[in-house]
This record gives sequence, structure tokens and C-alpha cells, in this order.
Amino acid sequence: MATVQEFSFAEFVKSILWLTFWILVIFTLILLPIIFIVLFFVPAPEIAGIEMNPYLLLTMMVNPQIGAPLINLTLDQPFFKVAVFPGFTFAALFATAIIFVERKFLAKMQIRVGPYYAGREVFWWARSLEGLLQMLADLLKLLGKEVIIPAGADKPIFWAAPVVLVVASSALIAVIPAGPGWVIADIDVGLLAVFAILGFFPLTALLASWASNSKYPFIGGLRALHQMIAYEIPLILSVLGVVILSGQLNLSKIVVAQEPYWYILLLPIGAFVFFITALAELERVPFDLPEAESEIVAGWLTEYSGMSYGLIQLASYIKLYALAGLFVTLFLGGWMGPPPLAFLGPNAPSGVDMFGVELLSTQEAVGILWFVVKTFGVAVLMLLPRGINPRIRIDILLRTGWAKLIAISFINIFIALALLYLGVAGPAGPVGVISP
Amino acid sequence: MGLPPSMQVEESEEGRILTISVGPQHPGSGHFRLVVKVDGDIIVDADPDPGYVHRGEEKMCEYRNYIQNIPHLERPMIADSCGILYPFCLGVEEIANIPVPERAKYIRVIMAELNRCIFELYWLGIYGIFLGHSTMFMWPMGDRELLIDLAEAATGARVTHAYFVPGGVRNDLPENFKERAFRQLDYFKHRLDQYKDIFYNNPLFLDRTKGVGVLSAQDAINLGVTGPVLRASGVKHDIRKIEPYDVYDQLDFEVYSMNTGDSYARAYVPLLEMYESINIIKQALEKMPSGSVRTKLGPNPRGPAGESFKRVEAGRGELAYYLVSDGTAKPYRVKMSVPSFRQIPAMSYLLKGSKLADMPAIYWSLNYWPVEADR
Amino acid sequence: MSSQGDQPEEGSQAKAEAKPEAAKPEAAKPVVQKPVEIPALEKGIIEKFTGRFGDKIKLVYAKPKRIRFNVKTEDVLDFARFLHDEVGFDQPISVAGVDYPKENIIEVVYHIGCCTKPEYTSSVFAFGLKLPRNDPKMPTLIPVYGGVEYHERETFEMLGVIFEGHPRLERLLLPEDWADIPPLRKDFSIKGR
Repeated sequence: MATVQEFSFAEFVKSILWLTFWILVIFTLILLPIIFIVLFFVPAPEIAGIEMNPYLLLTMMVNPQIGAPLINLTLDQPFFKVAVFPGFTFAALFATAIIFVERKFLAKMQIRVGPYYAGREVFWWARSLEGLLQMLADLLKLLGKEVIIPAGADKPIFWAAPVVLVVASSALIAVIPAGPGWVIADIDVGLLAVFAILGFFPLTALLASWASNSKYPFIGGLRALHQMIAYEIPLILSVLGVVILSGQLNLSKIVVAQEPYWYILLLPIGAFVFFITALAELERVPFDLPEAESEIVAGWLTEYSGMSYGLIQLASYIKLYALAGLFVTLFLGGWMGPPPLAFLGPNAPSGVDMFGVELLSTQEAVGILWFVVKTFGVAVLMLLPRGINPRIRIDILLRTGWAKLIAISFINIFIALALLYLGVAGPAGPVGVISP
Repeated sequence: MGLPPSMQVEESEEGRILTISVGPQHPGSGHFRLVVKVDGDIIVDADPDPGYVHRGEEKMCEYRNYIQNIPHLERPMIADSCGILYPFCLGVEEIANIPVPERAKYIRVIMAELNRCIFELYWLGIYGIFLGHSTMFMWPMGDRELLIDLAEAATGARVTHAYFVPGGVRNDLPENFKERAFRQLDYFKHRLDQYKDIFYNNPLFLDRTKGVGVLSAQDAINLGVTGPVLRASGVKHDIRKIEPYDVYDQLDFEVYSMNTGDSYARAYVPLLEMYESINIIKQALEKMPSGSVRTKLGPNPRGPAGESFKRVEAGRGELAYYLVSDGTAKPYRVKMSVPSFRQIPAMSYLLKGSKLADMPAIYWSLNYWPVEADR
Repeated sequence: MSSQGDQPEEGSQAKAEAKPEAAKPEAAKPVVQKPVEIPALEKGIIEKFTGRFGDKIKLVYAKPKRIRFNVKTEDVLDFARFLHDEVGFDQPISVAGVDYPKENIIEVVYHIGCCTKPEYTSSVFAFGLKLPRNDPKMPTLIPVYGGVEYHERETFEMLGVIFEGHPRLERLLLPEDWADIPPLRKDFSIKGR
């Protein structure tokens, strides 16, 4: 039973100074010598003819103008795109934000408050930050928990399954364009790659449940397998309409092809089927049978605790971001949208620049903004059914997936073909009726 | 590669049967165990195993006198504590020949109906959890707080009121109870309309409960089930109308029944009963006379040797007490016939042959309360 | 409230004598006197039974809406069948076992209600069997009333009454390692009391 310590400003300042002192000591006396010893043997990397050395970092702190072209060059590096934006860090932060929004949103729907206390006592101005730091608290909690492995579990697969899930989810986001030119892998078969990666998930869920060596994960894993396989086919079929109309499998070019009309206006049925099957792929309510709490405890992730569980949840929400981003790319025009501040005329802020060096052009900045807004909207829409519906039953699910959704997707393909032959839309734009 | 050794598998002609223990450690069972044998997704056999919270209520009754029995007798059913004490008080009043003032009878009816609503909201919330519908859990629980507030104003405790005593009730209602009750009951009725729209008309809810676990009227009577389960199978049997106790014969209310007998009917009948409860409470509050609420008893009230059998319509069904007195202040035998215990045969009967995914829908629609069944 | 009947009542003789004496110390409370005649409905039911079974059953009491007979072990299955099929009481409410060590018997009382016949729905019909305490055996009534299965199982484990023909006579509510005598017997005492 700890006693609550009274907050004392003097103690606070003292602890900050102590921390700063130690950071400076470690940096100067230990880190810098190590770097120079390494640099003695290994030549420093060069970016555009400028040799990077640690003193540049210190120089940038006092003279940011020197740092501007450097930052500009960093933004072009593939490493930045993979690690920061639109890569893993952005996806993870987006996933975290979505988890928080989900909890608050559901709470308001259920006449509750949701996360409330975490973050309220941090600063005096943070009273209104109801629970904003809850995700950080949850992360720290999960990191500190013990990972319990059931006896008889298949240890290599048990440890590997969450990691594989995170890797597969992150691979999904590699092809999604977050802005003009802002895509990690601009490949010509991007859509095909997405479906290939989506095939990993049922397999990994089954492996995770099998490796747990317990009855409830066994049932949950089989249900996950049935569900995801049943809904992959309508997913692919619903996207065929988009492929027909745009003639592309490259996601960036599909976005550009939506210039006249967004595909959701031309193919609403396809968008609807894609949305439903995306919910089934994500195992979200009403399709959360594999984790049906009241019947099979927690399904195929029953035996995962601690950071393994954290990794599985991270993978699940990164997949949510990926599928929401995919929906936006395929049906909602990706990053296209009008410049929001155009009404200000010639004085409108254009692009993002720092000390005269342009980091992001206007088109890029606007594109990124619209992409984030649209993806966020679609993700929130995907969170909505959780507060509205109970869970579906496996036989209704399979009947819907194998029969009804495939039939509707075929109708969608016929509509796409009709639009193509009527010349309303197509790879070459509206051309009028195509004569056979 | 064979199955991992943790799974008990029995080879049989039909195929491999997996024995699952939907045991006491399960988010979908309560303090109760169902040993379920599944073949794929079809339940082959379901064996109920109650007894995890058996406390020997009936044995304990023989060691305490009638008044001392009141606090522990309401523990088997904390959410509907007035319902489980009611027949005990009626039985003791019959044995020891204790009259009850009019006002106490009305208050008893009001509190019994309030407890019925409190229990049925809790039941509806847990049904939401079993079906995976989190909003269906949060809303009834939130609205239940209003009714519990009313109960707390009257009795001093949120649940386990220990309010009914032989001879009346423990204390009178507070001054502004009537206005407050009317206000909260009007709001509650408005909420019940919303529940009907949002929860009961939900297509997924209908898919999960319509046609699931059908119990015919003949089977229902023969198995001995009672309460909303019986009324959902078409048998209009409500003790408040059939054998009215206290002032139920002076109040005007209806008894609803549906003749489909599936889980949807078993979920819908309690909703209709809640509407009627609001009706009854309002009527009783209007008609209530003034006067004392408790007959003054001497210490250790007792009656001559004899027996009495009294029954009451509690939230889950017909609760009956069989009291045997031997002339002393302690009862010789108290036998509680609780509706949850009577629902157990229906559980194994309905679960055989149904899908595993229907198990929560059927199990909880039978209004089973594990603590009450174990006593 | 008991009413004084004209028929021979076993077991309520003592009750009838105790009643007027018990009424005097409680004379401070108003005692509502019920009519002494057995109501017509109950009379009709009683006549059906006495017509069919005659001397083999004994009427214990016949209050308004409550009738009780005592039956012998060999007649109980016939009696239950008659009650279920001919008279129409079809809903089992409870099975209670009561231990009387002084008279060396265990009494098993069945309470049956009626759901279908409107004139009988408010009545509860009770019948009891007196079984010898050291060897309480009786046939199970599951063939007649399916719902008594778990009640009889509980009476078995709580009092030790053996129901012949019961498909599964084993412990239900007590813990698996129960090694004591059946707990509802009077010689089982709760520790500390």
C-alpha cells in the first residue's frame, strides 16, 4: 500500500534537471566516443555529397536552417518511407489512435464514459484529456505482464505466430498509397499482392490455435479458418469491378483513374460487399466468432497473454488501417480531393516548407491530408457495428459468405462490364459506346 | 500428427466426440458447469452440473428462528431478494397466524414488482453478453441503476434488501417515494420502448434466437418448467392471477404468453412483463392506504405444529416454500422449490441436438440463476 | 389455517388439538375463522380418490386449495398415474424429504400443480410417503412426471432416499468428496452449532 506523494514543484524541477544532467553526461562521455570509434573503422554514410556526422545533429539544434535541406533529403529515402510514413510508425500510431477512438466512441454509444482517468493528473491543463494516455498505460501494462505458455504447446510456433501476424499486417500497408508518390512499393501488381498477403491470415490463425494445445483455441481456430476463407472470395470478386473499370492493378494508378468519378458512385454494390467482407476478415463484430467470448472464451487467442497478446491486437488494428486504406484507395478516390484552403486565393498556404526549402508540395500535402481524413472516416465506420449488433452464428455466416455475397459480387461485375461497354467509364475514360 | 493430448476424444461410430467443460471458469456460464459433448458443431449431450455454490440454505434454516432466517434466505437470489423472501413470509404468517396490515401488502407488491424488473434487466444484460452484443449489456445495466435507487430509498440497500418480514415490511416508504417512482418509471417505460426497437428488432438478434430451442407446451408442463419459459411456450400460468396473494386480486394487469416456445419468445415475454410491472407499481402506489406497515410481534414468534405450502411468482417463475413447523420458534424443515432448479431438465433436453453456437442463447434464455438453483 | 373435516385425518389430530390451545396465547391478534366445511372443489377431488383407492390412502388435510394424502410405497405409482391422467394435475412443483428421527421415518412429500384444467390451476395437490428411516426406498415417479428427476436426485443425496428405477442416482449439489452422512438428516449437525 503506497502512500500518495504530494506534488512538489521543487522536486519536479529537481528531477528534470537531474535527468538532463545524466543525458548530457551519457551522450558526451559515452555515446560520442563510441560513434567516433565506429566511424574510425566504418566510413560515414553520405547523403547528396554531405557526409553525415554526429556534429551535424548538434549544429542543427542551434541553426535549423542548415537542417532543412537535410530533412528534405531524408524524406526521400526509402528507409523513411518504410519506417515512418506511410510505413510502420504511421500505421502503428494510426492503429493506436483507432483503438482509443473505438473505446471512446463505443462508450458514448453505450451511455458510458470510456477511458477517463489516464492522463488527467499529468498536467493542470490536461483535465479535459479524458483518458488520452490510456493507450500508453495499456502498452506499459502489456509489456510488464508475464507470457504464460501452456504445457505441451508447440513453442516455436507459439512464439512466432503473433510476430508473423504483425509482419503480414505491415506488409499489407506497403502497397497502399498515402499521397501522390508516397507509397513504399509502387508495383504494377499491387492489388494482387494485397490478396496474396491476405491469404496468410487464416493460416496463421490456425497455426496459433493449434500451437496452443487446448480445446477452446482449437474450436476458435477452425472457426477463424472457415470464416476468413469463406470471405476472401467475395472480397476478391468485389474488387474485380474496380479492376475492369480502371484497367490497372497498380494502386497509385487506380487512384489517378478515379479522377472523373470515384468508384463508389459507379460501383456502390462492390463497395458494400468489400466493406462487409473486410469486417469479416478483421474478425470484428458481428463477425467476431473466432473470439466469441461467451462460447469459446477467447477463441484462438485464448492462451496468449502479455506482449504476445499485445502483438496480436496490434496486428489486428494495423490490418484495420490497411483495409480501411484499401477501401479508400479503391472506392473513395485515395488521396484526391480539393485543396481545403483554396478559398483564401493566392495567399493560401501552399505545401509545407521549412526555411525556404520545400518539404512537401501543395499537391502532396493536400493529398496526405485527404487520405488521412478519409481513412479515419472509413475506420470509424468499421467500428460502428460493434455497438449495434450481436454476434452472428457460424452457419448464417457461411451461408452469407459462400452464397449471397458471391452472387452480389457477380452482379457487381456485370454492372462494371455494362459501364465499360456503354462507355461511361473505363481505362480510356468516357468514350461512348464501344462498338464490338 | 495426432491430436494434442489435452483433448479427451472418444471414438464412436458417429465420429469423434469432444468433451468440453463449459465450466465454472468460463465467461459464458456463471457458477455452473455444463459438460457438453460436441460432434463437430452439434451438441450430442449436455449434462448440467450444478452445486458449485451450494451453501445448505435449507439446513441452515433449521438452526435459526423465523426472523433470523430472513437475511440468509434472500442470498440465493440477491437481485430479486424480495421475490425469494415473499413465500417464506407468507408461509410463516400462515403457520403463526400473523395478520398483515393493508399498507404492508401494497408495499410488498410494489417491492416485489420492482425486484422483478431489476432482475429481468440484469437478465437481459447478461443475455446481451452471451450473444456478443455489448450495448445490450450496458443499457439495461444503466437503467437498472434507477430502479435500484428507488429500492435503496425504500429499504436502505441496493440489492439483498431483507425488507420483508413475517407481519409486513421492515419500515415504511420515504416521503417523496411516489413522485420519484412515477418519474423514474415513466423514463423506464420510454427506455423499454427503445429496447424493443433497438434490441428486439435487430435482424441478427432475430437470427440468433428465432426458432432456436423450441419447447412445446406439453414438454414444458411435463418437465416442470415455470415462469416466462412456460408462458413463452403457450401456457398462460401466472401465480399472480391463479392464486393471488396479498393484493394482486385488487390490481388490474395482464399476463402475456406467446405460443412459439423458442428463445425469442422466452426473451420477449420478460419485456412484456416489465411493462406490466410498471403498470402494477403505479396502480399500487395510487391505491395504497395509510397505516402501519408491520405487525408488532413478540420475541421468537412461533406457531403450532403443522405445515404450509405457499407459492409466489418471482422474476424467474414460481417460487414455492414448503414449511414444516413443530411448534417451536425454529422451523422443522424449510424446502425451497426454486424456478432455476426446475429449469435444469429443460436445459439438457433443449441442448441435445442443437448447435454449439446456440448454447448461450438457449442456456440463458431459460432464466437460470446458478446461485438460486444450488441454494 | 386448518379446517376441521369430518373425514379421518391422520396426523392432524395432534394439530386439531394444538390449534385451540395455541389460539389462546395469541388471542391478542385477531384470528379470522375459516369455515369448517371442506370446499366443494376439494371435496370433489377427494371423492375421486377415495372412490378409486379407498382405504389405501389417508387424507391428511383438506384446506382451500391445498389437499394432502398419505400413500403407501406400493401404491404410489398407481396413485401418481391416476393423479396425472384422470384428475389432471400435471406440473410437478417440488419433492421434499423430511426427516422424523423420533418416529423413525423419512417422509417424502410431492407437490403437484395443475396447468391445464382451469378449475384446478389454483390448487396444489400434495402426497407423502412414510419410509422407514434405515432403509428408505421407493419407486421413482419419472415415468409419470418427467420433471422430478433432479428433485429426486437431490433428495437422494440430501437424505439418502433411494428411488428405484432412477436413471442416475448420484450426487448433484454436494461436493465430489463428500464422505459424511446425508446432510439434511437430523443427526448431521453443522459444525459449531
